[in-house]
Amino acid sequence: MTTAETTRNVTHATFVIERVYPQSPARVFHAFADPKAKAKWFHGPADEWSEETREMDFRIGGRETSVGQLHRDATPHAFSALYQDIVPDRRIVFSYDMLIGDRRISVSLTTIELKPEGQGTRLLFTEQGAYLDGYDDAGSRERGTRELLDQLGRSLMD
Amino acid sequence: MSDHSVAHGTFVIEKEFAHPVAKVFGAWADPKKKSKWFGDPNNPAQVFEFKPGGRESSSGTIPGGPTFNFDVTYQDIVPDNRILYSYDMHMDGKKISVSLASIEFTATPKGTKMKMTEYGLYLDGLDNMAQRKAGTISLIDALGGYLDKA
Repeated sequence: MTTAETTRNVTHATFVIERVYPQSPARVFHAFADPKAKAKWFHGPADEWSEETREMDFRIGGRETSVGQLHRDATPHAFSALYQDIVPDRRIVFSYDMLIGDRRISVSLTTIELKPEGQGTRLLFTEQGAYLDGYDDAGSRERGTRELLDQLGRSLMD
Repeated sequence: MSDHSVAHGTFVIEKEFAHPVAKVFGAWADPKKKSKWFGDPNNPAQVFEFKPGGRESSSGTIPGGPTFNFDVTYQDIVPDNRILYSYDMHMDGKKISVSLASIEFTATPKGTKMKMTEYGLYLDGLDNMAQRKAGTISLIDALGGYLDKA
């Protein structure tokens, strides 16, 4: 026996996160659309993470790839997205894969909606995910996304 | 004027076929076989790359009605086991939906159980989940008819 048999399965789960930021929809949209602005907040935990590559082509049909590793496991974590729909200052839709090493752990469809709220912006983040082969997400994707949206909020104050 | 609305929905369709898994999977994986039951038979897919990261593209016009474009990106494929793909639908050039479909194939004593889970977002009030689910059930029925004859 040289290879372990992989148990194949798909677990579906959806989560929704809402945030209100004091900045305008145009400012919040920019934090997703501009590679430099996005790099300020879209990354793993600062003291546990090293980035390897980052590429971004923000247009419908364009791709984004971000690869990094956690210091503790030295295994590449790869985010690979395809932009499916973009309406400036209003919404962004992308599908993405996550790979740990060469194992695809999930495929997800993400919708970001931005709505004016007073002087600020209400952000609605909806993620419809398929988790693969027993990868036990146990809510970690949602927690990780909440942390990212907190980092986004801090980056808007710069 | 568009209201930029997004309606999210998920539906699941399960169907059992009296055919082996390899045959049911093959009806999705082989462009000639898929063209027999999926979409407009006179207008088969112009692009068909059945591999992770590959694309599929086809279009069809309802007589006297709108033209639809269907554009797929395959995200994950495990032969005879599962297919995950995301797709966009356009109607007369307007994007009406973005979806992520998972199709799982399981061998049963009778043949194959196929489970389709589809995440969708329906844009700007131009489509809705009930309509898409009904359309998908018709497709799966067409697949069943094709498998019985093939």
